[in-house]
Amino acid sequence: MSAFMKPHGAAGWATLLLAVIIILLGLPLVYMGAELAFLGGSLYYLVCGLAVTVAGVLMAMGRPVGGLLYLGACAFTWLWAFWEVGLDGWGLLPRVFGPTLLAIGVALCLPVLRRAEQARTTHVREVA
Amino acid sequence: MMSNHTPILRTLLLGATIIAGTAGVSALAQVPPADQPPGNGNATVSPGTPTPPQDAFSAPSPNAPQAPGVNAANIPDGPPAEPSEATPMVEQVTANPAHDDWPGYGRDDRATRFSPLDQITPSNIGHLKRAFIYHTGSKPAPGQVNKWAAETTPIKVGDGLYMCSAMNDMMRIDPATGKEVWHFHANEKYDSIPYTAACKAVVYYTSSTVPEGEHCHHRILEATLDERLIEVDSEDGKVCEGFGWHGMVNLMKGMGESVPGFVAETAPPPIVNGAIITNQEILDGQRRWAPSGVIRGYDAETGRFLWAWDVNRPHEHGEPKEGEHYSRGTPNSWAAMIGDNALGLVYVPTGNSAADYYSAMRSPEENKVSSAVVAIDVKTGEPRWVFQTVHKDVWDYDIGSQPTLMDFTRPDGSSVPALIMPTKRGQTFVLDRRTGEPVLPVEERPAPSPGMVPGDTRAPTQPWSVGMPRLGFAPLKETDMWGMSPIDQLYCRLKYRRAHYVGEFTPPSIDKPWLEYPGYNGGSDWGSVAYDEKTGILIANWNNTPMYDQLVSRKKADKLGLMPVDDPNYKPGGGGAEGAGAMAETPYGIVVSPFWDEYTGMMCNRPPYGMITAIDMHTQKVLWQHPLGSARANGPFGLPTHLPLTIGTPNNGGPVITAGGLIFVAATTDNMIHAFDIHTGREVWNDVLPGGGQATPMTYEYKGKQYVAIMAGGHHFMMTPVTDDLVVYALDNVN
Repeated sequence: MSAFMKPHGAAGWATLLLAVIIILLGLPLVYMGAELAFLGGSLYYLVCGLAVTVAGVLMAMGRPVGGLLYLGACAFTWLWAFWEVGLDGWGLLPRVFGPTLLAIGVALCLPVLRRAEQARTTHVREVA
Repeated sequence: MMSNHTPILRTLLLGATIIAGTAGVSALAQVPPADQPPGNGNATVSPGTPTPPQDAFSAPSPNAPQAPGVNAANIPDGPPAEPSEATPMVEQVTANPAHDDWPGYGRDDRATRFSPLDQITPSNIGHLKRAFIYHTGSKPAPGQVNKWAAETTPIKVGDGLYMCSAMNDMMRIDPATGKEVWHFHANEKYDSIPYTAACKAVVYYTSSTVPEGEHCHHRILEATLDERLIEVDSEDGKVCEGFGWHGMVNLMKGMGESVPGFVAETAPPPIVNGAIITNQEILDGQRRWAPSGVIRGYDAETGRFLWAWDVNRPHEHGEPKEGEHYSRGTPNSWAAMIGDNALGLVYVPTGNSAADYYSAMRSPEENKVSSAVVAIDVKTGEPRWVFQTVHKDVWDYDIGSQPTLMDFTRPDGSSVPALIMPTKRGQTFVLDRRTGEPVLPVEERPAPSPGMVPGDTRAPTQPWSVGMPRLGFAPLKETDMWGMSPIDQLYCRLKYRRAHYVGEFTPPSIDKPWLEYPGYNGGSDWGSVAYDEKTGILIANWNNTPMYDQLVSRKKADKLGLMPVDDPNYKPGGGGAEGAGAMAETPYGIVVSPFWDEYTGMMCNRPPYGMITAIDMHTQKVLWQHPLGSARANGPFGLPTHLPLTIGTPNNGGPVITAGGLIFVAATTDNMIHAFDIHTGREVWNDVLPGGGQATPMTYEYKGKQYVAIMAGGHHFMMTPVTDDLVVYALDNVN
């Protein structure tokens, strides 16, 4: 049995695509975030990059907890952004705009992930 | 660790940025391309000693005689001249400009850029429409590397609008129709273009010896890219035979070894008490022993040599003897100067000694006068006073602005003849022009010292004009880094952390890049400021664009192919003036780039990148200040966003104030000309120009109608479209 979800229909494929994009966005955050932390800069990118990458992998495995982890990371990002730049529009733009767009996508994919998990648990129960 | 990104990571980063940023409201500034600093692992060279290291590229001896063709007009040299005095001058039109006129680059003898015209006001400016476009005929030919940025401000005297093209043709235009009355062909060669083909303005001169009504009573003077002074008659555009050699003076005389494009003039030479004062731009970053920055005086009537101020021959004011030349590598001045007939002085904003980023080989005389205002006696060429704005400058903080003169009223009611000196640092100095003493307080504050380059110590303090509002922001923090998405923002945060940065005057470094903030584009650059004497309002537009620089060992510089312009192997583009430079004859080369994300082309610091500020000079308080320029023509990957969002873009070109209560300024990289209500700072009008408006506008009245003119010549370094269009506006409801 593959660890990754078997997409069904357009919604399933869109969810998998979103998961792959989130992994691709998370990896550079981890890689460069590690160097930034090493150079004495913000730890946010390393921490958030790890969370986002794991979230993407879990989503690709069809686990709703991956989507929830991403949404949690996004909420954490908002708090961190307010802490760093307050209510400054130009300052908030790079920090929250893209992640929030993706979060909307993730929220829309949650039902797909739930169905995938249900299908898997049912499948696993039948096997058992 | 991780100093070299693999191509895979680069692709990943770029791709991720595109994905994350496609939907972004990415309104960003456009900044110029340049080579990137090499980063860590750039081997340190031990010496720092003044002995020139061995270079892979040979170059002519600085003492070699000039090759044929460097003296563009083939003007015979004649014997060296001894200092003499100028023919007495009659009053010039810029002393008391006619109401309708704009007779000089900064309009008047004080360079106020203020016009008493009031036909156009904030309430009727909706009717301001294009009246005509005039084409100068100078733009890059197919196949030529674009080095154009005309930067021209026309002048208007009586019935004539006079200007020069980027390649120094001079022309007279009908002020109402834009019809060309005459066109003088300077026949300049492409090779003579230094960093930029520019001609900021011509000078109107009324002769004291040729009677009214005769040829060359009224003359148009210019200084050229190929180092000539040319005077022509204002009525027919034919050369003044009584001036120099058939109307021309060879300014390469006494300059020693050079090649075309190494030495050039782009600013209008002031005429003070009958003496034309010349300065010249020497291409930055080429070699330590580049041609001289000498300042010279010439008789405005005859073109005969009067005197020279040559930094390393301080008390010799004559021309160099046969076989000798003016002292090389001395600070050059390329800004527009301003004269003072009453005090008999010319105020020279100086730049840096040659090899801008390495100071160990400079003489004490050079260190006293670089990046300073120097007041020179126009009778003798002797400096009267010096005020330095940066000590031992290694940041290319040469002064680009023209000083503006004013009468400063002290709290006790007494009046001081003063001079306002804007700088790239955003520090604006106000000086007593009789003595050079600060009128508003200047503090010497500790600066990072001794620096990181062996044998090249930085000055322990630098001057701050604490009495004037600063045209700049606080030092950069990691949280000021910007981008479209967290990924490119993170990349900029990394660039920030990888560099040396301890605030303003962070010393140059070899082991890794350093952050230069403010950058060398200013603060205030050559656009200068405008000043309304009646209200005491000063208008300044300025930049907020840090740079990312690194010194490289000679070996590395050779590997990068950096070589000076007079090297036989030199190819155009192989080390430009404002980018990477060989700095031959010093231990290091220099790599300079904007502090940007080179993948998206967006600046790493958060906006705004350009600002406009109104200051009340009576109280030295900011009246209003806001970002200047919209995001319409800029964006990531060089794509226009078409958003009418005022983000504040980098800008080059000055403002104009009118008695109608308006400010006109173009300058921004959104290719627009803007008008602001001077009292509120509100933008009341704008228009999209056919090219970049990197020039200072001007305004005049003719036959009862007020016009506003702007050269939309663009700017190669600002990456704005280049045209040969002079665009002129007038109200469409006035006849």
